[in-house]
Amino acid sequence: MDFLSLAMDTAKSLGADYADIRIQKSSSEMIFLRNLSLKDTMLKETHGYGIRVFKNGAWGFAHDNVFTSDAVNKTVKKAFAIARESGRIKYGNGLILAHERGYIDSYKTPYCLDPFMVPLSEKVELMMETNKTMLNFDEIKLAMFQLESRKDEKLFASTLGSRLDIHTLYIAPFITATAVANGDSQSRSFSRGGQARGWEWVKGLSLTDKAVQVAEEAIMKVHASSLGAEERRTLILDPLHMSLTMHESVGHPTELDRVLGWEADFAGISFATPEKLGNFQYGSKIVNFVANNTLEGGLATAGYDDDGVPNQKWYIVKDGILNEYGTTRATAPIIGLQMSRGCNRATEYYDFPINRIPNLYLEPGKEPLSPQELIADTKDGIYIEGQGSFSIDQHRVNFQFGGDMFWEIKNGKKVRPLKKVLYKSNNPEFWNSVDAICDERFFQTFGVNNCGKGQPGQRGRMTHGGATARFRNIRVGGSQ
Amino acid sequence: MINKQDMQKAAEFIRKNVQADDFTLDISGSDELLTRFAQNGITQHISGSKTNVSLEVTFDNKTGRAMTNDLSEDSLKHIIKTAENMAKLNQPDPEFVPSEPAHILPEVDNFSANTAELTVEKIVDDIQKCVKNAESKNAKVSGISEKHIDNTFCATKNGFTGFEEFTNFAHSMTMKREGVETKVAKSVKDHAKFSMEDMIAQLNSQFDSLKNPVQLEKGRIPVILRPAAVLNWLQYLIWTFNRRDADEGFTPFTGQMEKQFFGKDFTFRSVLNDPDLAAERFLNNGIPTENIDWISNGVLKNMNVDRYYARKHNLKALHPYNVIVEGGTTTEDEMMQMVKRGVIVNNFWYIRQTDRKVGEWTGLTRDGVLYFEDGKIQKSVTNFRWNEILHDTTRRILALGPTVQQEYYAKIPTMLIDAFNFVDVTTF
Repeated sequence: MDFLSLAMDTAKSLGADYADIRIQKSSSEMIFLRNLSLKDTMLKETHGYGIRVFKNGAWGFAHDNVFTSDAVNKTVKKAFAIARESGRIKYGNGLILAHERGYIDSYKTPYCLDPFMVPLSEKVELMMETNKTMLNFDEIKLAMFQLESRKDEKLFASTLGSRLDIHTLYIAPFITATAVANGDSQSRSFSRGGQARGWEWVKGLSLTDKAVQVAEEAIMKVHASSLGAEERRTLILDPLHMSLTMHESVGHPTELDRVLGWEADFAGISFATPEKLGNFQYGSKIVNFVANNTLEGGLATAGYDDDGVPNQKWYIVKDGILNEYGTTRATAPIIGLQMSRGCNRATEYYDFPINRIPNLYLEPGKEPLSPQELIADTKDGIYIEGQGSFSIDQHRVNFQFGGDMFWEIKNGKKVRPLKKVLYKSNNPEFWNSVDAICDERFFQTFGVNNCGKGQPGQRGRMTHGGATARFRNIRVGGSQ
Repeated sequence: MINKQDMQKAAEFIRKNVQADDFTLDISGSDELLTRFAQNGITQHISGSKTNVSLEVTFDNKTGRAMTNDLSEDSLKHIIKTAENMAKLNQPDPEFVPSEPAHILPEVDNFSANTAELTVEKIVDDIQKCVKNAESKNAKVSGISEKHIDNTFCATKNGFTGFEEFTNFAHSMTMKREGVETKVAKSVKDHAKFSMEDMIAQLNSQFDSLKNPVQLEKGRIPVILRPAAVLNWLQYLIWTFNRRDADEGFTPFTGQMEKQFFGKDFTFRSVLNDPDLAAERFLNNGIPTENIDWISNGVLKNMNVDRYYARKHNLKALHPYNVIVEGGTTTEDEMMQMVKRGVIVNNFWYIRQTDRKVGEWTGLTRDGVLYFEDGKIQKSVTNFRWNEILHDTTRRILALGPTVQQEYYAKIPTMLIDAFNFVDVTTF
């Protein structure tokens, strides 16, 4: 008998109300280059299984990596026993799982070149060349390249009759140059985060060209002025920067487990409470946030989540109004929803799946508009590219962001680079200040592959995106 | 859970079968029970054992590393082959350092049978007490109880062998009712030294002090940082505490070794034989640990140094394995008498760097803020955002409370710091 069926049969025989098993093999390769020194060249392969048992409205979860019938049975029994203990202190009158049916299906990330099949020497040569390119600039004292690839092969079965075979893969290159001059040090990076694509995507990034730009802009930055006192200004944010702001200020506050207070002890809760659904002006009327776990290249795109719920597309914010949350089978019924949106994901086989941000992006503007036209239309403002410092309160209201590259805009032109720029805003002021969004030709995505959440912490992943947008009347200034 | 014999057997196999010039083998095992609760009910409950095996090999200064979670001979053969193939395909590392030879390791007791024998029933019983307490206050409590048993083993081609076992128990909980929320957290290596009744009393004390918080103006104001806040802040300072980064000009610590760079009242160290604190006997790569003074009366004595940089500059390879910040004798009531007005902060949240070279960070207060004036607490206030140069705040320490255990790896005092830079206020 296969282990999937064995686990489900054992769970049913014990009297589980629901159970599932996730057999997972994960492979990750990490290469880290610092000033031409390979600080790590590592390939990690883990395999194991996690079994969830739901009994009388409470969960138990146990994991192991021993693949024998005896070990699988013991793990099911352990999960069942823990579920019974959990049932002594039920959440309310006990959790209820949203309706779902069983699926027999498979999913595989589409890609051409498996990064794990590309010779290590080819990857290291590209990294060395990029590093050397940056170190050719006298004032660049630190050049770094981190290349991460990850592949997950999952078999999922549930007592609903599901049998899922899911293979996902992503790759994430990240380069940084740090310049030291005039008693200061400033860095500039290039990253699109992780993308669920093959090595062909990395080859198409022209990273040695990007290395020149990154090095030149790091040097520009270390010689640049800072902004001075905080005042209300216009901001123009590029999509790679905005990916982080939307992650923190829209993605996390609309995870239903946070809304319900399940993360109150660590990651925090949310201001976007259920009575605001359908009436809260989260953003201006041109602001639409789309959740889309079917997005090609998206890090949350996997066919199904770890509840066995199919990937879906829906609006989190529609025409500026809070429309819906990201939900799981355990959280959705608490606010009266019949079905889950499929946002329950675990990272490793030994992790319990938790309510995660879906792939989430700001819908591009409907009228033709380029970033150059947007800058030309701005009399006085600051243009921010890439990601820097970020910090937001545990209710997801008040936040402060930096960036990676800053430009002052005067009379429709980028007039000088800046450094040490910070802006402060809050929900709902920030997204309500959007008055222009570039069109879909300028849409770009950024894959977050290190979203920390949960107790114990898990490193989740999802993709964000948008086109360059303009924000009016935001508090912007230099640090301190 | 894998044991010392399993690890030694794996090391023998590796030693016999590795062809490379050099190798370092790290094996760790863990057994965990993680009971998470939210809004007065258990929402997540995890049990299981984990294994992690890491083998780094070197041919002609070219390295490769393979990792697995399986100690079987087939798996070990696979990681040898994988690591060796990677090393052969790699480029030489100009900063390669040979593996460590045999060392005499310090004796440290990091294991407690009281913690190891803790049962799921006992943990759930204790969580029940927390829930009943919250219900008695018409509040909701959320948190996690964690029991960890860990062991680690390291062996190298050049003769190093080390093994150690750890236990720890951690409990944290946040209680919330309408606009009031506060948290307590503590971890210990010996569960016998943990009292849930004391934790609940501390939670209730904080909770009862917070009523109808009002917004205070932003600006510089004296602040009493309770130990959880100080530790949170210190962990980020330590994160940037790297000798090489300083020497190469990236951080504020450039050229500051042996100088009075911090406030004279600021001292912190790592200590091997504190009975309450865990201390690794060796670092992952086989370096024996020792007592380390990091900052003494404001003088920068040591920073993190890796093996390459240590060898190049004739330094010791160092890493903080636990933290004791030297305290004083001033009580919180006495601190409130020392300044006209100020705020008491239970904890910080979301600390991030804003300027690496300057050493400036941002963060927010969390878990309750109290305003005091004329020696007395006057009201609870909403949270603040701060932007501060962390090392500079140590120059503004006005008083220190007694050092208390905050985590199984940290003893921390309350601090009174002058003119803390609050740059924004929140709505809650």
